Amino acid sequence: MRTFLLTLALFVSALAYAQVPSVTVENAKGEAVNTKTLLDEGTPMIVSFWSTSCKPCIRELDAVYEALPDWLEEADFRVVAVSTDDSRLLAKAKSFTQGRGWGEDFVLLFDKNQDFMRAMNVSVVPHVFVIDGKGKIVYSHTSYVPGNELELFEAVKKCSK
Amino acid sequence: MKRIISILCLVVCSVALFAQENGYLTGSFESNDHFYVADEVNRFTPDADRFGSNNYLKLDYYNGNFSAGLQMEAYVPALIGYPDDLTKYALSNIYVNWKDEDFQVTAGTFYDQFGSGLLFRSWEDRVLGLNNAIMGARFAYNFEDKIAFKALWGMPRLGMDFSDTQVRGADLSISLADIIGLDDIVLSLEGSVLNKYSRISIDAEEAGGKPNTYGWSGRLNFDWNGFFVKGEYVDLGKKLVAFTPKRGNAQLVEFGYNGRGLGVTLTGRRLEWMGQNITSSSISSANLISYVPAMSTQYTYMLTTLHPYNPQVGDESTFTFNSGEIGGQIDAFYNFRRGTAIGGKRGMKVHANFSTYYTLAQEGTAQAGNLLFRDFSVDVEKQWTKQFKMLLMYSLQEYNPGYGQNKTTWLSNIVVADLLYKWTPQFSTRLELQYLTTHEDKKDWMAALLEVNFAPHWSIFGSDMYNHGSTKMHYYNAGVSYTKGRTRLALGYGRYKDGYICSGGVCRQIPQYTGANFTLTTSF
Repeated sequence: MRTFLLTLALFVSALAYAQVPSVTVENAKGEAVNTKTLLDEGTPMIVSFWSTSCKPCIRELDAVYEALPDWLEEADFRVVAVSTDDSRLLAKAKSFTQGRGWGEDFVLLFDKNQDFMRAMNVSVVPHVFVIDGKGKIVYSHTSYVPGNELELFEAVKKCSK
Repeated sequence: MKRIISILCLVVCSVALFAQENGYLTGSFESNDHFYVADEVNRFTPDADRFGSNNYLKLDYYNGNFSAGLQMEAYVPALIGYPDDLTKYALSNIYVNWKDEDFQVTAGTFYDQFGSGLLFRSWEDRVLGLNNAIMGARFAYNFEDKIAFKALWGMPRLGMDFSDTQVRGADLSISLADIIGLDDIVLSLEGSVLNKYSRISIDAEEAGGKPNTYGWSGRLNFDWNGFFVKGEYVDLGKKLVAFTPKRGNAQLVEFGYNGRGLGVTLTGRRLEWMGQNITSSSISSANLISYVPAMSTQYTYMLTTLHPYNPQVGDESTFTFNSGEIGGQIDAFYNFRRGTAIGGKRGMKVHANFSTYYTLAQEGTAQAGNLLFRDFSVDVEKQWTKQFKMLLMYSLQEYNPGYGQNKTTWLSNIVVADLLYKWTPQFSTRLELQYLTTHEDKKDWMAALLEVNFAPHWSIFGSDMYNHGSTKMHYYNAGVSYTKGRTRLALGYGRYKDGYICSGGVCRQIPQYTGANFTLTTSF
């Protein structure tokens, strides 16, 4: 226990701002993608963790999808939808995104063994992050009720300026 | 094992001490607490302490390509229905990791899987009380996205400690399309091998069992212009089932098309003796080292989840003894775009699924070719106005209560209406109405749920699931939640039915109970 407390104290002393960790996930074609490459474009992004069996997740991404044309008139950013469905629902999740129209406007990633989800310390979905152009996490929110997307967009606008 | 954990702690301490400039700490905490209440109607009498609490603290430190972390768990005691071997507290995960674009080296605990996980999967699912993290070492190398290789060794966790079972495995993926230089095509060949060493009893040894098992898998991935094919063959190697040697094997095929608002996936799967446990000496539902999920719709509405499909993987530890199953499913999603005749002003989304599974052979208690599970569902989702959104679902579910022992099946018809109305941009209500009709089991059910949301922080709900066909039982539930940023608090009270909690197609059995529950999740 003493060793653990020492570890914890040293961890806390090492605090800086959180960023996007380097994790390998899949794109819609099944190709491996390193999450660090998300930062290559240098624009802010919404990163939303979702799954096909999570209704609030789908409501949140639908709300973002509906509002996106208007939002993009006010801010320059991307939306990254990260499916946390495992291999049972992975193929279904890819088809599902087509049936929602998300594939046209979102960057789709598939985190089938939840490695990215764990690295970002997401315990439950939905969980959404806003990441600025330098890779710094500037906003984070868990769960979703209709209307939460307004707060999300305010966070995007702040880091898009 | 304690010595290994201490060494890893010291490594983590040292690195944190000397690399503070660019590093950052992130973590999460989750607490699920129940207070149980005696309920004669629900035939539930709580234990003397009336309390259950599952707690998880996770910390990760990142500095460039380096990361290190740990997880602590406390069950004081575990919630009702969780595996019995989750007791007290433990430093359950601790790791150091180096990852750049090409290399990854991990020492300590890690999660991984080969292919779809049929041969090997290590993962955490807190809903199931499952965490079979591997304590050992892993090395991965990626050569220009053309060849990816990983090798691992370690001891899977079971309960609060790591087992004395050892797994050694390697996985290779070769991207032929990248090697040949085909830009628009994904074509890769993949393969894995797995050796598992676990102690066996003298009786098993005398019957011809071996402590070492050797398995392998071969896989194909293809994608061109939205058309895709995935194939996987798995051989688990020889194992003893009821003191008789059997060879575990599985075949999985997925193909379909995704594009232009249409997503169609067809899945076919055959399983034979695919049960694979960490050790033969535990009956815990978390005693798994591979992932063999139900390949069917994962329903979420109350009445659609009364009889979730539990796949017959082929082993002797299920309720009955059978060799496996064969079946498949088709999923179709379509988005009727805005401005089309059917889509109207705001578009319409349609989804349909059909899945069906049968016993594989006359073996143990199962007869060959009997229907195990079949379901058909269709749901239509439409945003009528800016304020009003509606989802209608129909589901027909048929399952074999004898797990293939005979041809008797129970059939249910279920309808669901899910109605969301936004009164203001931040105030909304959601109403679920559900009805299940069947001639079998407990006959007809009805259910309703009302949710009132005050964004961005508050949500209140009340629900009741009523069996008016037979038992006349109400399963009521009400709760409130508050969310601010990454922190969510939820408080509820309800009466819960016995049955299965399923997550990702793996299920654990839970008894009925009544009581209050509190959940806290936060991250930083």
